[in-house]
Amino acid sequence: MSAELPAAVSQPADLVRAGGGYDAPPPARRTRLRVWKVIREQPMATFGAVVLLLVILVAIFAPALAPYDPREKVGDVYQPPDSSHWLGLDDGGVDMVSLLMYGARVSLIVGFAAAAVAMLVGGAVGVLSGYFGGKTDTVLMRITDYFLVIPDVPLMIVVAAIWGKSLKNIILIIGLIYWTSTARLIRSQVKSIRERVYVKRARALGAGNSRLIFKHVMPQVAPLLIANTVLMMAIAIFAETALAFLGLGDPQKISWGLLIENAFARQAISLDAWWAIVPPGVCVAVLILACTMLGTALEDSLNPRLRVGHLSVKRFRLRPLVGRMDAE
Amino acid sequence: MRGSDYIIKRTAFAVVTVFVAITLNFIIFRAAPGDAVTGERCRNCTKEFKANLRKELGLDKSKWEQYVIYIKQLAHGDLGYSFEDKQPVAPQLWGPLKNTLPMLALGTAFSIVFGILTGVIAAWRRGTFWDRSSVLVGLGFYSLPTQWLGLMLIFFVAPMLSLPSSGISDPFLEFTDPGWWPALIDRLKHMVLPSATIGLVIYGEYTLIVRSAMLETLGEDYILTARAKGLATWTIVRKHALRNSMLPITTLIFLSLGYIVGGAILIESVFNYPGIGLLTYDAVFAKDYPIMQGAFLVLTVSVIFANYVADLLYFRLDPRITE
Amino acid sequence: MKAPVLEARDLHVWFDLPDDRELHAVQGVSFGLAPGERFGLVGESGCGKTTTILGLMGLLPPTASVAGQVVLEGDNIMARGESSVAPHRWKDIAMIFQGAMNAFNPVKTIGDQIAEPMEVHGISEGDAARQRVGELLEMVGISRDRADRYPHEFSGGMRQRAAIAMALACEPKVLLADEPTTALDVMVQAQILQLLVSLTHDLGLAMVLVTHDLPLIAQVCNRAAVMYAGEIVEQGETETLYHDPGHPYTRLLFAATPDLYDESNVTSIPGGPPRLDREIIGCPFAPRCDRTFEPCPTVRPELRDLGAGHTAACHLNDPVMRAAAS
Repeated sequence: MSAELPAAVSQPADLVRAGGGYDAPPPARRTRLRVWKVIREQPMATFGAVVLLLVILVAIFAPALAPYDPREKVGDVYQPPDSSHWLGLDDGGVDMVSLLMYGARVSLIVGFAAAAVAMLVGGAVGVLSGYFGGKTDTVLMRITDYFLVIPDVPLMIVVAAIWGKSLKNIILIIGLIYWTSTARLIRSQVKSIRERVYVKRARALGAGNSRLIFKHVMPQVAPLLIANTVLMMAIAIFAETALAFLGLGDPQKISWGLLIENAFARQAISLDAWWAIVPPGVCVAVLILACTMLGTALEDSLNPRLRVGHLSVKRFRLRPLVGRMDAE
Repeated sequence: MRGSDYIIKRTAFAVVTVFVAITLNFIIFRAAPGDAVTGERCRNCTKEFKANLRKELGLDKSKWEQYVIYIKQLAHGDLGYSFEDKQPVAPQLWGPLKNTLPMLALGTAFSIVFGILTGVIAAWRRGTFWDRSSVLVGLGFYSLPTQWLGLMLIFFVAPMLSLPSSGISDPFLEFTDPGWWPALIDRLKHMVLPSATIGLVIYGEYTLIVRSAMLETLGEDYILTARAKGLATWTIVRKHALRNSMLPITTLIFLSLGYIVGGAILIESVFNYPGIGLLTYDAVFAKDYPIMQGAFLVLTVSVIFANYVADLLYFRLDPRITE
Repeated sequence: MKAPVLEARDLHVWFDLPDDRELHAVQGVSFGLAPGERFGLVGESGCGKTTTILGLMGLLPPTASVAGQVVLEGDNIMARGESSVAPHRWKDIAMIFQGAMNAFNPVKTIGDQIAEPMEVHGISEGDAARQRVGELLEMVGISRDRADRYPHEFSGGMRQRAAIAMALACEPKVLLADEPTTALDVMVQAQILQLLVSLTHDLGLAMVLVTHDLPLIAQVCNRAAVMYAGEIVEQGETETLYHDPGHPYTRLLFAATPDLYDESNVTSIPGGPPRLDREIIGCPFAPRCDRTFEPCPTVRPELRDLGAGHTAACHLNDPVMRAAAS
């Protein structure tokens, strides 16, 4: 999964703005409301948010929701689904449904944490680069360019193979490889914000750099950062499954990636045990889809880059003139 | 010559990036906790033996000296020796690479062609059913974990279409010496599912990329001019928007190569396909560092090279680059 | 006045907004254009002038709704919307856009883009088209061997000329010019205006010149209309508008233009235009006007004929209103 997913995935936004206001900073409160508005109005964002919330709830309440203990053998190896085990048992005789519920935890933890690392590093680089410009910018962007070209998955695999298989390591590795897209996004945003009138005004009044960054730049950048983080979560979750599949995940923790790997390694295919193979992948796919939908919907509406389209197969409409009988 | 500056710049960038990759390679492997001699490789070795081995592998020298030696060896095409079979690494890489490239090329070609097709239609018919469904389908494929999709294809599709789900050729075929055409067909049959896996996953991403690039282009002023000139919608899409979108599309496609290469590792391990991905996977399990290092270098340099080609292509496509 | 070649009759344009609201961007605009005439359309940014001329050619997005008539030599080309207006594009009405910098496709040559409408409309193709491209370029003052160059190789002023050449490719009857000289420096501005004037003379071309720059209108146009908040508030000969404006907005606009030799203070109009997504009660200019009286905030003024083709929408011209107020 590459880190550069395009924007403009949500609904078109053909608008004409009449009149012009002067260039004032939108209050931070309003941007939080905007995020909420997007979630309410765009169906893709709603779907993404709802699914994400459900997965989070399942993960938190797994001990209460799961029908069985995920480490307890309750039957035969690869026992098919029946009324007491809706998705059958895995290669260790453990209930699949319970495994899937507990597995959500690792996916979410890795997703959030790695995305947070990427966001912190990328955000910092982006802000520094965009705000200070000049040499700092050039150097940081050069580094970003190199990182960008080096293929992510092989690098991740190699580093994970050497540094060891703990959850902490996985999170760090993923975060430190995928920060580049965040950096570039934040940098271009910061650059444009920096040039806005109210920032220049504050500067002229003598505000220091750090104050400017935290009070003026960050609130503007925050919504996009959120959107980008959600997208980064999708990538991080995918990366975790890839690493787990290659035996580089944390063998102690139940994760969906590990479940897929188990099914593969323990001959679930030849034994026709679809219930061990299909469900974990579906769970991962749905979670990644939810994060991607939510993230791109947020990005589309918050990113001022979205343009009016000049071309459409749909046409403008005609209205009959009502009550105007006189023709001049 | 127009833009010779540009070419020189991009070449320099490519070379420097290769160098960065090489150095990264070195740092990752040599800076690891413990070195090749500690750990599992040498359980029952005596202290003396370990010391000798270190000396032989050059691990007793300073990091900087090791780095210099490493660079020198690379310059001679020497990628070290495998821990597993004690054979030189470099020759072991080419065979698998030759297996991987056609498989990836097939899948990527499929996804580019269909991705452009559906992406253009989605942008042209923005807001309609075609658009929305293309986006959903694209997102759907994009979200599937590669290795899991491979498993799905093995489980459900292979039996249906009687396609082989493992390896690169039918071992029995070799014994009967059937001639090049059946052998080729056999190879292709073994390539179908792995190629389809990478193709489908990347298709999702490409259709979204193409649609997005087209939408961006369709917001440009010259599109309005074209419409004012009385050109039909499809003509504008074909003659103006598509041509101009190829610039960002090309860049974005090449940007995703890093992922394709990573996907190869996952796919080849699922399909037991003897390519460079499987080689890397086996090396990871066996902790055969030199092979891992060699494979990683080959993969990285391939991607860097492909990006370089993209830069040159971009130069051909965009008359504005003169610098 | 000769029979008008183009007329807008009670033209309205609405744009859809989220939450089922609408922006009434053009509110009942009517004017006529005679052959060879240069007609100015003036107003602040956002007053609807660009939307109006885009509407004349039907170049509106799917979120737009249109009412009213666009009459080209007697035929209402807006009768069936896109399908009836599209065939007239470029052949009868052509346009040069604001910022011709981007009106050209950067990856195609200027020559190709000028020839394109000729080929598409079946007027000429191949070598004949290339010939014609050369002629057009020379007509606007560009040497014909530059036809094989790319847009980025032209300066701003030359690109604008090339845009004019492209607009004339199919020999239209009407040329719509949207801010043709904004973003060009003063010397180049004068040249472009000169060119446009001579073209209307030589080719009998009728032209609508949209701008926010009043002195331009005064120099170049025979007649003009002043737009405010989506409607025309005054229309007439340029001389009359300057010397004897019938609407306070017109007067203030002229007064707001700094004169190099005049030492008196430059007045500006305080405040901003009203929102067009809700109904306006009373005169739309009332909040900013310096001569409001009783009826202004509550009664919307209609366009009144002040004689000799001069109309204005202001209660100050209405003796009945003035009598009722005092």
